[in-house]
Amino acid sequence: MADETFRLRVAYRKDGRLAYLGHLEVINTVERSIRRSGLPFSVGNGFARRMRVQFSQALPVGAFSEGEYYDLVLEEEVDTHEALELLKAASPSALGPYRAAYVPRRGPALEAWLNRSLWQVEIHGEELSADAVSEGIAAVKEAGKIDFMRGDKPRTIETVTTLVSWEATQEAWGVALALETRSSNLGALRPAVLLDAAFGTEALAGAVRSSQRVCRSGQWHEENGRLVEPFDANFTWSLT
Amino acid sequence: MRLPRQDRYAELEPLLAKVEHPARYLDHEWGAVEQQDGPFHVCMIYADAYEVGQPNLGIAILYNELNAAEGISCERCYLPWVDMSALMREAGVPLLSLETSSPVASFDVVGFTLAHEMIATNIVETLDLAGIPIRAEDRDEDDAIIFAGGPSAWNCEPLCAMFDAVLLGDGEGEIVEAAQAVRDARAAGATRAEVLKALSKVRGVYVPSLYDVVVDETSTRWGYAVPKPGADVPEVVYKRCIPDLSVTDPVPQKMVPYMGIVQDRLAIEVLRGCARGCRFCQAGMTYRPVRERPLEQVVDAAEQGLRTTGYDEVSLSSLSTTDHSQCEQILLRLDERLRGKGVRVSIPSQRLDSFGVDMAAAVSGSRRGGLTFAPEAGTQRLRDVINKNVTEDDLERAARNAFELGWRRMKLYFMMGLPTETDDDVLAITAAARRVLEIGREVVGRGYKSGVSVSVSVSVFVPKCFTPFQWCGQLPIDEVRRRQDLMIRANRDRDIHISYHDAQVSVVEAALSKMGRAGFELVYGAWQRGCRFDAWTDQFKYEQWLEAGRAMGIDLEELAAEPYDLEARLPWEHTSPGVSKGFLKREWRRAAEGVTTSDCTMTSCVGCGVCPALGVDNHIEGDRHGR
Ligand code: SF4
Repeated sequence: MADETFRLRVAYRKDGRLAYLGHLEVINTVERSIRRSGLPFSVGNGFARRMRVQFSQALPVGAFSEGEYYDLVLEEEVDTHEALELLKAASPSALGPYRAAYVPRRGPALEAWLNRSLWQVEIHGEELSADAVSEGIAAVKEAGKIDFMRGDKPRTIETVTTLVSWEATQEAWGVALALETRSSNLGALRPAVLLDAAFGTEALAGAVRSSQRVCRSGQWHEENGRLVEPFDANFTWSLT
Repeated sequence: MRLPRQDRYAELEPLLAKVEHPARYLDHEWGAVEQQDGPFHVCMIYADAYEVGQPNLGIAILYNELNAAEGISCERCYLPWVDMSALMREAGVPLLSLETSSPVASFDVVGFTLAHEMIATNIVETLDLAGIPIRAEDRDEDDAIIFAGGPSAWNCEPLCAMFDAVLLGDGEGEIVEAAQAVRDARAAGATRAEVLKALSKVRGVYVPSLYDVVVDETSTRWGYAVPKPGADVPEVVYKRCIPDLSVTDPVPQKMVPYMGIVQDRLAIEVLRGCARGCRFCQAGMTYRPVRERPLEQVVDAAEQGLRTTGYDEVSLSSLSTTDHSQCEQILLRLDERLRGKGVRVSIPSQRLDSFGVDMAAAVSGSRRGGLTFAPEAGTQRLRDVINKNVTEDDLERAARNAFELGWRRMKLYFMMGLPTETDDDVLAITAAARRVLEIGREVVGRGYKSGVSVSVSVSVFVPKCFTPFQWCGQLPIDEVRRRQDLMIRANRDRDIHISYHDAQVSVVEAALSKMGRAGFELVYGAWQRGCRFDAWTDQFKYEQWLEAGRAMGIDLEELAAEPYDLEARLPWEHTSPGVSKGFLKREWRRAAEGVTTSDCTMTSCVGCGVCPALGVDNHIEGDRHGR
């Protein structure tokens, strides 16, 4: 049977107070927004009959974002502009959608496909030096992995492939850090985890952060070293 | 002292990254009322964690009514979890409202929901965190006026030292009138004492400070309350009661939380009140009469509520949803209208008969989770004592029907320590579970693969005021433990899982249910010793409660087990849900004789006194007779 459904990709941001939502809370809220929008969303055939929607990779609690995505399966093709307006009207503004477009119905799941992230991190602390932060991060990359705790569970993330690049800039209030990361099925490197490790290195011994603001400013798909935009109309997915 | 009204979110924000579930403190949920211009400001508080308080329908109703009233704004507040309250105290941040992050101590009126007895120390904690004097008598002229109300306001005496006014019964209408009384009195330059006086004139409002407690030979050791000399207040304050549910907003829940909460679904109240007359059940006595919401309104409300909230589940809530005279048609109609939308309908409680099972089947589609029944007692004799009008046959038929319709897991609720209970009754709990399991095996088949199992959950009976068992003492805790043990040992089947409630929590609950005004010393003492979030098993501190009791010269376990004389004046009789003492006594005698009393919505009036006392009637949409 031909699949007569449509896959709408939606970009949204996460800001204001809602930065403090966890991933599950975001998913719940977005799903309820979609229901409120009145769009003809498709429901799965499974036991629980859930809405067919996929999300890009989880954003940590407390992190802001300028570019999060979900793919929503619709039963009917609704004009993208109209769909976006309906979604906007039904979503909390701090999780506001700002772009929507149809993408091929078949294609890899968003979560795995968008495997590159750019982060802007503000590390506040009057005495902080950009060079020291840079050195600290280099030392962590060098070490090849970070052992850390998530809740009370010990975790490990390797840093050679997951940490792509970084650039620290000195500011009056501290250090502005641009960070590129890559995720794989082995995991994703979270900026907070990287910085906690960096501040444990010798380069940053005794350095004090008063606060830290993490914002994901974009996500891409990496294909043979090239970065593909989530809405790139010219990109044809290699279906494997 | 009243704190200035100002947005203090900036002080809270740095703490968010350090606590569990920051979503508890964010506000800005879909549907929250952001316009908070007042100029008269009320803050409604459910003194427990956000995820427990947010689904409360009562608060939703009052929130909407107040915000709709001219010149009045209403915000919400929940009790920060222990991690957050510690950080707030350390940082000098007082308790803040959600909508505007204003100090709770800046509001004109602060209202508490008394959802259950075990919320007592949380109310002390809330006031303390807010910086509002805990005792009403210590408050300044301009401090907030503190209201309380809700299901556990029957016997509010042990807590009423903290309240300026207690609102009895249905809050619709009453809350706005009470808030307006405060506003108007304040505007006229009234003193605090005059404001309270004005409040006492609002129907259904009890102002504790206008009553004295008298202890004499006609009372228990806790005495009884009488109007203070010269105070022009009624001897008995009767609850407010709306005669017709259809005039109330059928979708009070407009807000959609971000975080997962208990009961994370749309709730439509399909009826209020239950007249089955179970003799242990306080809600059954205090929410009378029965008022059904009409079929069309329920169905439209469900559809509209789902559309505006985006929930994917709607619960038809009430004390006994399957008793609604149009239950079957409601479910049919909902199924027609909601088909294909990935929406679930749920009903919270099933009747213990085949009809109940059919209704459960109607809402569950192809899903077959566990099915819950509440026989409450193991033998027919004891079920007659408590007036649980179900028979052995009902249970067996319901179980057979359920297994035949595809259910595999059955859950049975019982109570332990009911008046007149013997070891035979206790052993009958295990036997009933065995019988249900046996029926399951007969229908589905034996062996591990059949998946048939029965879980039994046994709570400890707590005598509650305004029930026919209000004079009873609780079964002493050692005896509870012996009987629990007896029950567990009698079970040899590994497909029967028996769990029971912590008897210690029940002791505290019973003590709080029995005490009078002087009982506040216990609550305060327990709070001083670190008790809060007592309804959370991992936070409950029994030893501290016992110690608080000892400090005031009472043995909590003895107090819980103490019976009251049938002729004694009781500590709570000056506030009334309308049910007459004569009826309760008669029911108590009938219980002792094992004689049952029928449900007035299915037969005829049994004389509980509520309708004449309040000038209302049962309001049944269809016909319940012969069901
Ligand atoms: S007064 Fe009669 S009809 Fe009214 S609730 Fe009581 S028993 Fe039922």
